[in-house]
Amino acid sequence: MDNPLVKINPMTKRLVTFPVLMSGLFIFLMMAFGVIMLLNQANMIQINMGMFYQLMTIHGTGMIGFAALGAAGIMWYFLSQYVELNRRVFQINLILFLLGVVSVLVGIFKYDFAGGWTFLYPLPAMSGGMWAEAGATLYLGGMLLIGCGFLLLFLEVSRAIISKYGSFAQSLGWPHIFGLRKEEDAPPPTVVASTMVSIVNITALIAGAAILVMSLINLYNPSFTIDPLLAKNLIYAFGHIFANSIIYMGVILVYEMLPRYTGRPWKSYKIFLIAWTLSTIFTIIIYPHHLLMDFVMPNWMLIIGQVLSYMNGLPVLIVTAYGALMIVYRSGIKWDVTSSFIMLSMFGWVIGVIPAIIDATIIVNQVMHNTQWVPGHFHLYMGIGATAMIIGFMFYLTKFDANRTDQEIDRASFWSFIIGILGLSASFLYSGQISTPRRWAEHVPEWIAPNIIGVIFGTIATLAMLVFVFRFIVISHKIGKSETSFDESTRKIS
Amino acid sequence: MAQPAWMITLNVQQPAWIITLLVSSLVFIVFWFILKNSKDREEDYDGIKKKGFKIRNVYFVILFSVLLGATFYTITDLPYDRPPEFVNATEVEVEALQFGWDFSQEEFEVGEKYAFHVTSQDVNHGIGFYDEDMMLLTQTQAMPDYTNTVYVEFEEPGTYQILCLEYCGAAHHLMIHEIEVK
Repeated sequence: MDNPLVKINPMTKRLVTFPVLMSGLFIFLMMAFGVIMLLNQANMIQINMGMFYQLMTIHGTGMIGFAALGAAGIMWYFLSQYVELNRRVFQINLILFLLGVVSVLVGIFKYDFAGGWTFLYPLPAMSGGMWAEAGATLYLGGMLLIGCGFLLLFLEVSRAIISKYGSFAQSLGWPHIFGLRKEEDAPPPTVVASTMVSIVNITALIAGAAILVMSLINLYNPSFTIDPLLAKNLIYAFGHIFANSIIYMGVILVYEMLPRYTGRPWKSYKIFLIAWTLSTIFTIIIYPHHLLMDFVMPNWMLIIGQVLSYMNGLPVLIVTAYGALMIVYRSGIKWDVTSSFIMLSMFGWVIGVIPAIIDATIIVNQVMHNTQWVPGHFHLYMGIGATAMIIGFMFYLTKFDANRTDQEIDRASFWSFIIGILGLSASFLYSGQISTPRRWAEHVPEWIAPNIIGVIFGTIATLAMLVFVFRFIVISHKIGKSETSFDESTRKIS
Repeated sequence: MAQPAWMITLNVQQPAWIITLLVSSLVFIVFWFILKNSKDREEDYDGIKKKGFKIRNVYFVILFSVLLGATFYTITDLPYDRPPEFVNATEVEVEALQFGWDFSQEEFEVGEKYAFHVTSQDVNHGIGFYDEDMMLLTQTQAMPDYTNTVYVEFEEPGTYQILCLEYCGAAHHLMIHEIEVK
């Protein structure tokens, strides 16, 4: 096995450092906003209801946006080993992203927009008196800028992959699936994953841009109306796929680093390639599981929403997580903070999928939809799944590209983060189990006890995140200025 | 406890919670076992893979069967179509608007069958039927331009709460309505 780590251009290393830093910093900030919302729901502080929903809007939007920025950094960093990427596009995405963020923040905090990340039509134009066109325009316009930036990024990734491999079919390994080419020559996992993410995200971002533009027109010309059910489909197709893609970009870290930590190969064998093709299809078409309570939807779409949501669990449960377990089993791996986060992300992904599969069951969704059960699922999945990959990448960059050594505080924060997210997610799932609705600023007394538990664990996780970000900020200026530490003789990280 | 007609089991929430805890514990045990056995090195990775793939085949069959079984078990009685016993149900019109509910009738009877036709005058809302213990019994979305119908049979008298279950603006959490079941 070559050492591709050293093949990464120092400029690429420095290129991804700032977005990863921003990602970590804003995820911390969004976590702090989350704790404030829980404090309010637990009746421990009083914030006005308008501010609660503004925080809710930025919490959801910001978490997904900044996690996607960090995960795109992971993909760009490792993919640059295999294909020629144009760094200008990465920079343009970053500029559009930051402009979009400013627009979203001004829309929310200066002009009181609080339509939620879902901005369900026609809510942006019918706020019930809370915000006016300016707030909605800045929010929707900011989202559009962010979406256009990411669209350019994924078009560039697609261009680079197709230039090298000829087509998406080739880079997904279809000739290898059908036995037309040898398994050994299949594209590396990073290329396969990047292809999948490009396909699903280009689809998602076009759907998102379409509904954002239509909503913007509706703001100023109310006679231009949209079918509310079509709007909902476009919004959830965009939101579900884009949020989902974060973990599929982040998992590239797992594919790249576990082989180096264990000295064992992780190749794109046939089942692996089949799983990624299935994930590509499932990720695009399972979004109707967000619409199971829209009874006017065609029944077949809702049934597909349930059945394929079940099936969508299989690729990770059978291939990726199982592969991770197999590669570390009796490998003599050295557990440092980076490798620990990589393994944690596999655990978080798997247990995060469980409540999601349960909630995708139509008869369960009938009493769980839009309850706290849903945040219970995605705080597990995003918290110790996707975010663990981003934090793992932060620790990877500072260790291998800036010579950081693990400290006691890193290990303590790692365990605090796990305990924090597990406790927080359990409090949400329990709340869902007792029928507490989600997105409610105030809770009745029966619902408050789990919120207090959530405040405690959420605070622990937030403080741990602060430590990770602080450690990264302090060391990040060295990234790209030193050689990667890798033991050539053992072909394994020591 | 009153239940929607389609709901056969007593309570769906509790089994969901218990299954989540049990399966999560199983996942935790598997990860723990692997991590405990990760520090010593076995050079023959091909041997490990061979054994691992065999176990995976069994694991795949079990997992696939469980998911398939769950699909067939849960998909037979969906809430979307009018159940035969609701052919002569009392039809109730419900309109949502920021931030309240307008019901064509406010009082209901135990044992009667009702078809609630739910729509919205403005933005998206969600209608959630809560019993006196504040447990969610059933729900559907309240959408502008569309009407969703939810079928309910109340089994116990009492004051039921109608809560908005789709975020609809700044007073979303105040969108509560009470109905009486005698």
